[in-house]
Amino acid sequence: MAPVKKWRVWLLPLVLLLWGLQGLWLLWHFREEGRDLACRLAQGRVGEAVRREDPFQQWLTTLAGLMPPDSTYVFLDRYEAGKEIEARYRLVPRRHLLLPPDIPPSFLFYTLRQEEASFLILRDKSLPRGPGVRAAEASPAFSPVPLPGPGLVFRVDWSRLRGEFYD
Amino acid sequence: MIDGAVSLARLALGLAGVFFLGAGMLAVLLPRPRQWSRLERAACSFGAGTIPLTLWMLALTWWGRPYSLPLILGPLLAAAAGALAAKRVSSKQLALTSTEDRKPKTENCFWNWLFLSLLFLLFLFATLRAGLYPMWAWDAIATWGCKAKVFYESRGLDLTCIEAHNYYPNLVPLLLTYLYLCLGQVNDQLVNLLFPLWGALLLMLLYSFGRRLGLPRTGALGLCAFLALNGATFITHLYIAYADLALTYFTLGAAGLLYLWLQDATPRGGLGLAALFMAGLAWCKYEGAPLAGTLVLAAALTLLWLRPPQLWRCLGELALPLAGVAAGWLPWRLYVSLHHLEGGADHVLGFYPHQLWGALPRVLWGLVDPALFGILWPAALLAGIFCGRRLWSTPRLFLALFLGGNLIAILLAYALAPTSEAEFLQYIRGTLDRLLLHLAPVAALLAGEGLKDFS
Repeated sequence: MAPVKKWRVWLLPLVLLLWGLQGLWLLWHFREEGRDLACRLAQGRVGEAVRREDPFQQWLTTLAGLMPPDSTYVFLDRYEAGKEIEARYRLVPRRHLLLPPDIPPSFLFYTLRQEEASFLILRDKSLPRGPGVRAAEASPAFSPVPLPGPGLVFRVDWSRLRGEFYD
Repeated sequence: MIDGAVSLARLALGLAGVFFLGAGMLAVLLPRPRQWSRLERAACSFGAGTIPLTLWMLALTWWGRPYSLPLILGPLLAAAAGALAAKRVSSKQLALTSTEDRKPKTENCFWNWLFLSLLFLLFLFATLRAGLYPMWAWDAIATWGCKAKVFYESRGLDLTCIEAHNYYPNLVPLLLTYLYLCLGQVNDQLVNLLFPLWGALLLMLLYSFGRRLGLPRTGALGLCAFLALNGATFITHLYIAYADLALTYFTLGAAGLLYLWLQDATPRGGLGLAALFMAGLAWCKYEGAPLAGTLVLAAALTLLWLRPPQLWRCLGELALPLAGVAAGWLPWRLYVSLHHLEGGADHVLGFYPHQLWGALPRVLWGLVDPALFGILWPAALLAGIFCGRRLWSTPRLFLALFLGGNLIAILLAYALAPTSEAEFLQYIRGTLDRLLLHLAPVAALLAGEGLKDFS
């Protein structure tokens, strides 16, 4: 029985030692965030200023000014990129529909017409355009919105789309 | 500068309103509130206030009334004030004395100050991190914060313009909406301050439970610091605006109160308060209701195993927490059914045995990963081992059953998840930390029992 008790006596300091090491690891882990926080506090770059540093967020702010609150838009992107949720968050209460960037023209046009969407948004204009976007660029129902920024926006006259599957 | 101060004051007033509502709820639920320390009442009252507030907002939507502060707060504050006034009168008649300082104080100044300083530094960081940055984390902008913004803009629970897991319960989004109404605008930096506050209240609850379980002040403070400063999960949840911190708070409240009740160490009304926390669990997140169910199940199994005197009466009393689960779960389920909101089928598509075996080592690693919870889970395991026979001959069995049962449930959930092979590991990485977070304070309670044995 005695050795077990002796072992137990050592256990609490051992746990405290490991916890101390864990504390050091936490300091190391949060060093970047702590540094960023301190810099921002010192320079007053907090709140909305954090958003304004991101070109995508700036672009969304301008975009929100263009789109009526009751409009519907189709956002072409992959969910995993995490940008679609940023766009949706900034553009609510506008109705949001997510479709993949490589969507075929038939399904894109069908969705735009069925959902009466008045905007088509591509998150990153530097990426290769899928067949749906290429077809949109060639169609008179789409007019590009001259908006500087990372993405591409089309105003859509959905009433001019046939919106049928004809693949 | 002045605008910022005014906004902060409006936020503080909004939060004070929630505390006041909670105080009213406690006045109704606790026959003798002064048997509970001020710290306990403060820690419980916020959570207790959020439930009627947000359920009332759901009811307003049902009746087609657009949200406004007078409509939301007016009836609730009047009811809370009435409950508090009635309690004050009856308390005077009973001439109760406060029992806050009934426990002998075993002071250890150095350690007390050390733990308090560490917690102060942590919360200073978390508060600044939460309040100075806009919402940015995935679930915050994809679900909780996004819904709150929509509800605020539409002055109601309008889900027509988004698909953001619309069937999820809405305690947190509606609470954020209420705070936006208090602020008079969508300010997604200031409302983030809700989360460090909630984390602090969670630690206050843990401290209170530790004290009630017989830990000295130093031990209880150490336990709080041990939970908060082990791994990065708890810390990040203080500022990423996820509903998981709220769920963790309600889990701790419900589990701690049930555990005290099983030990016959809770003042009168403890089980009613546990029922309220159960309601919070069910109304906070989708997995809250099953989690609350496992709490009741663990308590029932503990009673059946220990066979205390008046076993059947005790088992019957568990109907109260079950009623709490129903009270938190039913209103939203009814709303979902009546409004034909599409429900999720995330976890009911099939059983994939290879995923079970794939998840097992990762869950085990998650329990010892320094990045997730540091040495919290190993310490809880050690505490369980050193309990020896007491683990199954005392109510500590409840903690072991709840933790063990839920760890198995997590594994089973991964075996049911309909993910592709490529996504599966990412799915575990993205969810394991928060699933373990829900249970972590209960693991800390078990570690606290081990600490008590040592001291």
